[in-house]
Amino acid sequence: MADFIKHPVVEVPDRAPEPVFSQEELRFTPQESAQIERFREMYPTNQGAVMHTLWLAQEKFGFLPPEVLQLVARTLEIPYPIVYGVMTFYSQYYRERRGKYVLDVCTCFTCQVCGGYDILHYLEEQLGIRKGETTDDGLFTIQEVECLGACGSGPMLQITNRHFVHNLTPEKIDRLLADLREDRLPGFVSVTLPQDQAELGGNRRTDADGVEQYVTQPIAREVG
Amino acid sequence: MEASNGSAASRAGDWRKYERVLLPPIRDLHRLDVYEQHGGYRSLRSVLTSGDWTPASVTDAVKASGLRGRGGAGFVTGMKWSFMPPPEPGKARYLCCNGDESEPGTFKDRQLMEYNPHLILEGMLIASFAMSITTAYLYVRGEFADWIVHMERQLEKLYEKGYVGDNILGSDFSCDIVIHKGAGAYICGEETSLMESLEGKRAYPRAKPPFPAQHGCWGMPTTINNVETLACAPLIVERGAEWFAGMGAEKHPGPVLYGISGHINRPGVYEYPTGMLIKDLIYEVAGGMRGGKKLKALVPGGASVPVLRADMIDGVTMDSDSLRKAGSMMGTAGMLVLDEDTDMVSFLRRITHFYHHETCGQCTPCREGTGWIENLVTRIDEGEGNLRDLDILLELCDQMEGRTVCALADAAAWPVRNTINRFRDEFEAKCKPAVHATGPYAMAE
Repeated sequence: MADFIKHPVVEVPDRAPEPVFSQEELRFTPQESAQIERFREMYPTNQGAVMHTLWLAQEKFGFLPPEVLQLVARTLEIPYPIVYGVMTFYSQYYRERRGKYVLDVCTCFTCQVCGGYDILHYLEEQLGIRKGETTDDGLFTIQEVECLGACGSGPMLQITNRHFVHNLTPEKIDRLLADLREDRLPGFVSVTLPQDQAELGGNRRTDADGVEQYVTQPIAREVG
Repeated sequence: MEASNGSAASRAGDWRKYERVLLPPIRDLHRLDVYEQHGGYRSLRSVLTSGDWTPASVTDAVKASGLRGRGGAGFVTGMKWSFMPPPEPGKARYLCCNGDESEPGTFKDRQLMEYNPHLILEGMLIASFAMSITTAYLYVRGEFADWIVHMERQLEKLYEKGYVGDNILGSDFSCDIVIHKGAGAYICGEETSLMESLEGKRAYPRAKPPFPAQHGCWGMPTTINNVETLACAPLIVERGAEWFAGMGAEKHPGPVLYGISGHINRPGVYEYPTGMLIKDLIYEVAGGMRGGKKLKALVPGGASVPVLRADMIDGVTMDSDSLRKAGSMMGTAGMLVLDEDTDMVSFLRRITHFYHHETCGQCTPCREGTGWIENLVTRIDEGEGNLRDLDILLELCDQMEGRTVCALADAAAWPVRNTINRFRDEFEAKCKPAVHATGPYAMAE
């Protein structure tokens, strides 16, 4: 988000870059085009649909190099710099290629005092990379992120902008990494409200892939 | 309101017998059929088809209920709704439901989206009726992808059954609901930057005035309310403004989702009325401090609100008046509890890092200030700081507060100022001992 604060001299976005994707790949399928058309109908201007379309493009291509942004700009009929500006502002859009599974470890505030950094450092040790790096096999990227809104069940992480994994311990990380290496995602895990535990005798969602409780959060050994 | 459970200072009444209304104990309430079985969309039906309600009377009921925004600022919701100008033919109006929930320490809106999403959607429809709005946007932060997928599925069912769309429930009121997925920016929780984000721009906050009610999304009249605030609207319609106004603290009534986290035995989201004694919440509701440790500090409503020392919470209740007197704010009611082993300097360092990362970079005092604050606090935390750095930090806070377009600079300065003032000895202990100046500085001393 605040990229240009840390790197005040930002290179001018490349308008004719060495492309990663070929012209044949740079195309939305008819289904995707129909989806983008629906996005456009949701807003009074085409520009309103840019965030939805960037999400769709990121899911399709994995990340957003300039030629993909140009494709989005052409599709929505809006200027390329606007798409570029939006993409660089939001931290969930990827400028560079990431691993297949991006592990966003929360270390903000509550997670800090409840062992978020212990989890981050344990992951770094297990995968042999530092935060912000990708493993050589292209499977994992580790990122340190700000509050993900699951403070009561921290330390926690999110897998590639999708599933939350709550109440992390080193053992749970080991299991998670083994599962991900075999392409088993944890799915949607519902954390039971303490009052539901008392009044309903457990979780109220019968369609969740997994159920957990709010438990006493661990003691942080490292806080930075 | 007199307390009835023995603890004289609580304003929440007999909270042990409290029956939940935002998250009532019903299995699978997130499904439309279950929600309908338990009286769901009855408020909407009554508002649209009974003939007893007009847009003005819904707004008046919300005003009379005393409902205050649950997103942090605590503004009176009915008042905000009445700021909308009268509808003009051909001029669009918008409602934005703020589900960006990115304040550190806050995790209540996500639970509402998970367990009772239809209450939010019904609230959005009632609010849209009250302000004659035909398009309502639900802005959810991009990290909540799972919950967005679930809500989109429910929204499709609503369209099929005629609860959303044209001529809702056979009335002449039409309204569309659009779910907008954010992409990871704390600043989008600020109402004007949320609108910029909806328009597909970099989310730079706008200067106010003009206020959103005059010049909002795409320049049209717009109202922005938090998820939990709008979820109260169906309850007010169904049970009446008096019922709502009579619950909890007098000037800040209603049910609240308290998110309790940190060094506590039973963290989680709890629903109780406002005006709960902080001590009750910690020691009765959430099972006391982890490992029987002593309480050291408490952040009552998300990272931006001033931190309270353990000796400052005696008799303090969770409502805006009481917390303001105690020197803090209600914020989002996301409470972080810290025990005696917490290093307040490292703790503040992480907060300053958060604000440095999340400043949008539009205003110089905030863009530069958050960076300098982080550098200084980091230096102190690493044992390289001087005593003079503390005063520089406080001066930096003066230079940031109230000098920017939005409140992020204030939100970044308050924790710094208050943590230093309230835990000054800890900061001083981490600084290098004072060295008497020589040379040009000796003159000044």
